[in-house]
Amino acid sequence: MSSPIELRNVTKTFGDFRAVDDVSFTVPAGTVCGFLGPNGAGKTTCIRMMLDILRPTSGSISILGTPRALDVRERIGYLPEEKGLYKKMTATALIAYFSMLKGVAPAVAKKTARELLERYGLGDFQNHKCEALSKGMGQKVQVLASIAHDPDLVILDEPFSGLDPVNQGVMEEVIRDIRARGKTVLFSTHVMSHAERICERIVVIAAGRIVFDGSVEKARSLLPTIVRVRGTGAEAALAGLAEVTEALPSSDGREGVLELRLREGANPQELLKIAFEQGVALEVFEVVDPNLHEVFVHLVGEKAREAAFR
Amino acid sequence: MMQIYRVALREYLENVKTKGFWIGILLFPGMLWMLIELPQFLEERGIPTRHVVIIDRSEDLGEIARQRITLLNRKKVLTSLQTHISKATAELREQMMEDQEIDTGQLLDQLEKGLEQLSRSDVEINPFSPNQLVKLGDLIPEQMLLNDVQWAQFKKLALSQLPADAPPFTEPDLRFREVPLIDDVSLQNSNEEIEEQLKPYLRGDKLYKNGDEEIELFAMVIIPANALDRDHDVRFWSSNLADTDLLDAILAALSEEARDREYSRRGIASDVVAEIASLRVRAENFDPNKEEGDERVGIRDKIRQYVPIGFVYMLWIAIFSISQMLLNNTIEEKSNRIIEVLLSSLSTNQLLMGKVLGVAAVGVTMQFAWIGSLIGILNLKAGPSATWVADLIAAVITPELLLGFVFYFIAGYFFYAFLFAGIGSICNTIKEAQNFMGPLMLLMMVPLATMTFIPNEPNGTIATTLSWIPFWTPFVMMNRMAASPPEFEIYGTAVVLLVSVGLVFLLSARIFRIGVLRTGQPPKLLELLGWLKSRTP
Repeated sequence: MSSPIELRNVTKTFGDFRAVDDVSFTVPAGTVCGFLGPNGAGKTTCIRMMLDILRPTSGSISILGTPRALDVRERIGYLPEEKGLYKKMTATALIAYFSMLKGVAPAVAKKTARELLERYGLGDFQNHKCEALSKGMGQKVQVLASIAHDPDLVILDEPFSGLDPVNQGVMEEVIRDIRARGKTVLFSTHVMSHAERICERIVVIAAGRIVFDGSVEKARSLLPTIVRVRGTGAEAALAGLAEVTEALPSSDGREGVLELRLREGANPQELLKIAFEQGVALEVFEVVDPNLHEVFVHLVGEKAREAAFR
Repeated sequence: MMQIYRVALREYLENVKTKGFWIGILLFPGMLWMLIELPQFLEERGIPTRHVVIIDRSEDLGEIARQRITLLNRKKVLTSLQTHISKATAELREQMMEDQEIDTGQLLDQLEKGLEQLSRSDVEINPFSPNQLVKLGDLIPEQMLLNDVQWAQFKKLALSQLPADAPPFTEPDLRFREVPLIDDVSLQNSNEEIEEQLKPYLRGDKLYKNGDEEIELFAMVIIPANALDRDHDVRFWSSNLADTDLLDAILAALSEEARDREYSRRGIASDVVAEIASLRVRAENFDPNKEEGDERVGIRDKIRQYVPIGFVYMLWIAIFSISQMLLNNTIEEKSNRIIEVLLSSLSTNQLLMGKVLGVAAVGVTMQFAWIGSLIGILNLKAGPSATWVADLIAAVITPELLLGFVFYFIAGYFFYAFLFAGIGSICNTIKEAQNFMGPLMLLMMVPLATMTFIPNEPNGTIATTLSWIPFWTPFVMMNRMAASPPEFEIYGTAVVLLVSVGLVFLLSARIFRIGVLRTGQPPKLLELLGWLKSRTP
């Protein structure tokens, strides 16, 4: 079976501007994939091309096995970046309307809409007009509208933006629920912590080009592991080792703690062993995995800054 | 197909739920009702009795003026008496019509015959208000109205004919009432002094005293001793410059008197003059387009000539208002960014089509509501005789006219709807849209401006030229329908219009496809042309 999302050498230009430049990646079925990148990196353009709202200038796209997403639209759920609702429609009617457009029968659509609102804590607002909902509630309604027809592929553009921490949690729950049913999810964000918690895979795009494509672990391994140590003689024993590329006072501000950056592929256990052998009286020995945030800044930092000043 | 239907259905339901829709639906019958009711209402209650001071410096001219005021007052009573009788006998007349099994065709013929006879007398006829074809007041001789005894007898006689259960008749307020000078102004004073003294009352600064009651003074008339001479004017003082009825009536009476005196001075009998003045040359109208033996132009044909104007009005209002709805809707979806979700579910063409159809259904609902309320109000207003009012409408509205209306409504609506949707798709706010709307509005004003003179020359150069321009084809052709334009033009312009509709759809769909996803400034004209050329969004 082909992957739900496949992009091959996709380029999109608007006039002279290359918004997306030779992008290729695939998202395997049943995974949650984070689509990361700074503002203006080309995430939304890529997503619009996947949905056949825009056409690529060159390259090919295959969505659920077909080049035209509209042909399989009833199997796709989409939440656009900029959220908007029909102000005068009720929450139930709106969710039902969007799933009816995806081919769900009216009666089923209404029933599902009520169930979804109930399940994600909006049961009391079923018959409220959308203009009466708060921003967060409105956004939830829109997310529900995009998944009410139980699509095989869900594409969410910035689903977390504008949500408070509690509702961000609900959003993560929604995504996990979709994956639990064996569906594929692609969501874009520039907040790494969400991606870190719920993604198996991440694709990082910057200035229209893919800069990383792989698992979260692989992304982390891009940055050196950091070991924090404190103890008499620790600096003398460890700082000069071949595994350590750099030794600096710890960035977390603790007195006397040393931060050691390890060479790529080096095992922190080796350091511990050497410390024992050298008889260092260790008070602190911490292995700090780099978080995705740092990976992200590392990957796109320069380009993002360039883009910001363009 | 299903998608288009769903979009259309939502568009329809959402629009029908708005206040604007219901205001639109109710406004028309409301205005119609006002149009029918207001004049009568104003006549009955609206204008309070107006008080007037008459300073008569002549021997007998004041009396002539006063007679004319009495005449005005009694004619007002007559009008309301007529309304009263018409209401009280409505059931009776209906019963009579049923008993005699008069059908509408006969009635129309009778009406036509009656009108024919009336047109040969000197009575004013109003063909657009068949209920008041002839004002009763015009049929009763003035001498009888001015004779108090005969006037009282006439009223008694008229009211005694009514059914027993008829409500009592209450006489309306007088139109004009003369009041004497107040005590501290003496008739011995000069005209200038009196004018100076009465000014505060005429300006409304002070209330005038008439015996014990305090009233507003409407006017003062000073009739000079030799008012009938050329160089001696009647002086008329009033703050109200709009209501000239009183002055007109007095002047007419005095002029008549002046003529009479002049006739007798020159030894001409005044009744001979009246007889000669009443001579009229009449015409009969024939229409060569009608079948042989039936070429005479009757009242039906005359009304028929004007019916298209009504249709053009309705067409214009409908197209204008529902295209606006479409524009607003598109802008709402666009500024809300809902459009993106929609476009992940259907193509731009489907979306455009669905929206236009949904809003069209709103327009059709509105038209039906209007036509329904028109017939309803006529039924209600004209009372039981409404069957023939409705049948009169049926008689003058031919199937061709209706067919034309339906066709031009649909074609014209789609033409403008696609244009408006295209505009809506490139604008983020109504304000931005207004820049584009300006020129379009000017284009739409043209048929309104030409509407009234096209019936005068329905197959003239202007009308023919305008018919071929798709912006105006629906309105102008509708306007010309009654004058049976050449078939070549009917079909030719229809083809041009339909082709234009297709063209506008293609162009709009293209602009729509790119425009709906665009944010920020609306595009420049050159950019728009670029979009039209580009194949991919």
